[in-house]
Amino acid sequence: MSPDFFDLLLGDSITRFVFFPAIAALPLLLMRRASATSVKVYTLAATLVELALIVLHAASHWSSTGMVARDPVVKWIDLSSVAILYEVGLDGISLPLVLLTGLLMPIVILASWKGIEKSWIGYSASMLLLATGMLGALVSLDLLMFYVFWEVMLIPMYLIIGIWGGERRIYAAVKFFLFTMAGSLLMLLGILWMAWSYGEITGVWSFRYEDLLQLDFPLQQQLWLFAAFALAFAIKVPMFPFHTWLPDAHVEAPTGGSVILAGVLLKLGTYGFLRFAIPFFPQAADRLAPWVVGLAVTGVVYGALVAWAQLDMKKLVAYSSVAHLGFVMLGLFAWDLVAWQGALLQMVNHGLSTGALFLLVGMLYDRRHTKKFDEFGGLAAVMPWFAVALVFSTLASVGLPALNGFVGEFMILLGSWRGGLHWATAIATFGVVLAAIYLLKLLQETLWGPVTKDENRGLADLSLREAAALLPLCILMLWIGVAPDRFLEPSRPALARVLAAFEARRDLPSSAQVELVDRGGGGDPRVTFEAGTPAGGAELSR
Amino acid sequence: MNPIFDLPRADWLALAPEISLAIVGSILLLLEAFAPALRRLFNSLALAGVVGAGYLMLRVTSGSHFHGLIETTSITTAFGLAILLATAIGLLAAQGYLERERLLSGEYPALLLWCAAGLLLLVRGVELVTIFVSLELLSVALYGLAAYHRREAVSAEAAIKYFLMGAFVSSFVLYGAALVYGETGTTFLGLVSDRLASGRGSAGLVLLGFLLLVCGFGFKLGLVPFHAWAPDVYQGAPSPFVAFLSVAPKTAAAVVMTRLVTLVAQSPTAGDWSGFISILAISSMLIGNLCALAQRDIKRMLAYSGIAHMGYLLIPLASPGPAAWRPILVYLFAYVLMNGGAFALVSMLYAKPGEQHAIAALSGWGNRMPLLAGCLAVCMLSLGGLPPTAGFIGKYLIFLHAIQHGDLALALVGILASLIGIVFYLRVIYILFMRDEIAAPAGLRLDLGGRTAALISAAGILALGLFPGPFLDWVESVVSGP
Repeated sequence: MSPDFFDLLLGDSITRFVFFPAIAALPLLLMRRASATSVKVYTLAATLVELALIVLHAASHWSSTGMVARDPVVKWIDLSSVAILYEVGLDGISLPLVLLTGLLMPIVILASWKGIEKSWIGYSASMLLLATGMLGALVSLDLLMFYVFWEVMLIPMYLIIGIWGGERRIYAAVKFFLFTMAGSLLMLLGILWMAWSYGEITGVWSFRYEDLLQLDFPLQQQLWLFAAFALAFAIKVPMFPFHTWLPDAHVEAPTGGSVILAGVLLKLGTYGFLRFAIPFFPQAADRLAPWVVGLAVTGVVYGALVAWAQLDMKKLVAYSSVAHLGFVMLGLFAWDLVAWQGALLQMVNHGLSTGALFLLVGMLYDRRHTKKFDEFGGLAAVMPWFAVALVFSTLASVGLPALNGFVGEFMILLGSWRGGLHWATAIATFGVVLAAIYLLKLLQETLWGPVTKDENRGLADLSLREAAALLPLCILMLWIGVAPDRFLEPSRPALARVLAAFEARRDLPSSAQVELVDRGGGGDPRVTFEAGTPAGGAELSR
Repeated sequence: MNPIFDLPRADWLALAPEISLAIVGSILLLLEAFAPALRRLFNSLALAGVVGAGYLMLRVTSGSHFHGLIETTSITTAFGLAILLATAIGLLAAQGYLERERLLSGEYPALLLWCAAGLLLLVRGVELVTIFVSLELLSVALYGLAAYHRREAVSAEAAIKYFLMGAFVSSFVLYGAALVYGETGTTFLGLVSDRLASGRGSAGLVLLGFLLLVCGFGFKLGLVPFHAWAPDVYQGAPSPFVAFLSVAPKTAAAVVMTRLVTLVAQSPTAGDWSGFISILAISSMLIGNLCALAQRDIKRMLAYSGIAHMGYLLIPLASPGPAAWRPILVYLFAYVLMNGGAFALVSMLYAKPGEQHAIAALSGWGNRMPLLAGCLAVCMLSLGGLPPTAGFIGKYLIFLHAIQHGDLALALVGILASLIGIVFYLRVIYILFMRDEIAAPAGLRLDLGGRTAALISAAGILALGLFPGPFLDWVESVVSGP
């Protein structure tokens, strides 16, 4: 690559915080004789520096019209007819998820302090590489780069589940890998097809996000391409019926792995819909929306019912993810700005509250080496602070007003009702009730009642380290719940822009052959990444 | 005076790489006879010879030499460098193995260098008899190397199987060449092309001739249905030699294959070559990967995976043309690194030749030797075509070529086959890092040469995967160059 890349790496750039974790993983190779504690401290320090880099970059590029930052373009692969660019940018849609990723990394390291007992070097290196993969996928503005980062995420997660996981870790790791890979290879084919189509029209292949956004495919082709992308993302989300890898992966993964999986990896699926599948293929997305909504609502109800039936805490939380992400998908396919804002917020919310729940389950597991409900009961008396944290996170997950979950779910339901999805909204609302049932079951079976097992009498309450991991999450849950506007504001212009472009292109007549969008009709209905005025759209529910 | 001595000096200079390799090989053999005390240095000496040949190779001026028998272009130079890289890996990996097996002698490096000389000649030969002679030169060296572990019956078995099949196939090539000559009246590929264009010769017989030639080189590539030798030979032959065998001859054969297919596809007697090549590619990819799925022996697994990789390599030839050189060159460089590296590691990590090289024997060694296991993991990921490795860049260019030329079905099958492939490549990683140790390593010799080969391969794979820019620029200049 040209030296430009290294200039980027050293300057105040997105590139710097994307690649910092991977570079920070290199000294680990030299720490083979170091004690586990020094590796842990080093990794914690690295993740904290990473968080600082992200926050600083976001803060320095803040503007009132919406947050947009991008790095200069660098050529990665340059062939006569085909170039793959290294192009990264940050806007209101990716920013919340990038911040969430940065926040979760140090928390995950703290949470793994005791639970991970072997080869900390490998664990740290996997986590740091995973961070680079996730951040890279979130900021890529070139589809092939996106694909590369998307795949880079796979290997570390495979190793984290497979090496540090529970009893059936191999099965879970391989299943996770194959499910994701099957989807993403089809996506790769879709990406190549799009780049080729662009080349057919303009004479130059392109993988750039903004170039490919101009492509207008005939409906039939759109449906195929949308299916190729949607399958990859739906597996990642995961949507019913592609969710079967998720409970296995979650249950077998170590606590840190589960938190990252729930907190960020799943979000990349919904992010993919919002960033790629919907803007690229608006007519196909619109045509297939009833199906997607149907599956989303099925996921809400099915996930809730199955969660209710679980005897294992971690499985319960895992299935609750299926339900929660069903809400997000419902919001995305309602074509309504409020619903979209709710969906984006709910992605973050789910990362916070489900992340906290996985942390808490992991803390219990560290103490008792079991996650079965019938081994617990009456813990509120033994571990009061643990009980407080669990109740708090559970209520946030249920959607109690004044906590974050309420805002997200309410906006999704409001928006999808307004978007005309009355039946789906009604069923999903019923899903909120079910969520209350299974999450209260979680509380009841662990915290309340008499202490039935003697082993539980002497359990230690939260340690300072554990409290430090939970506290930022709890603060944010409350903060978002009380002052949601602060968090919704930055992403509204970006979402409004994408939605306006979507609506404009959806209503155009379907083209007979592949062409670039700007045909007739004056206004240019392209979504550009940074230019363009925030179109009208619905005003936020203040 | 014999006309051969009238050749201009430039012709002899053009042949300098091959000549230097042959001379260094002969010197090694003489040293073996007269100075056996120097045995430990033979491989290093041979390595120096390879580096020297590489240097001479870069100095050769492009153009036609020996009355048009060989032709040097920037493309042939690039493929020659890939072959020399594979030879270097084969030499580096061998030192520890040969010392451990008490086989250290001059024959191994000598045969390897002679074989490399044959391969370099094959890459540049543009005349059927030259092609055949170089094919024989390299094949005979390969037979000897396959049997190199003289105390192991499996090594002899591998050599005999390889020899019988190889001899059979040599006759294919010879008969094919004879048919083409009989119908067109020339053995120069360039003239064959012209004569075919002017409609000379019976279309059927020319087609049969080319079919035989393609089958012959398909055997060297290990394409289905000419693949049956590969697993047995790989399993029985000495592992460091397999690091060479599994990549270098395939590189040269791929060049000839590309020449032949490009030539015949342009002629009016084309027939449905695209369909024929597609069938070879698809069956190689699917059968190779599916059979590899069932293997428990790492050498057999890599043999079947190699069959599949040659299937991928054939995809660009379904729509041949000058553009096909680019993906083939990039893919072969990646393949030399990843497959050569994998076999270099296999020859270090398995102490007993001739026995089963069970993948499960590596259980848990990832914790014991993280660096070497990491290198093997990188090779596996690259073979699986996952980014950010050289294997991904190679596969990407191949699928790109297919889509650009409308071979969407081939690309689809290729992607499907890659998915199957990932299962068994991943299994190696899983066994290395996620299983508990079954047995501690015993009797291994993790020497400097082997470690160097492993590290060069892994570092090369990652460098090409992460920063492919300069490499692809070079490939671009090679493909469009003289």
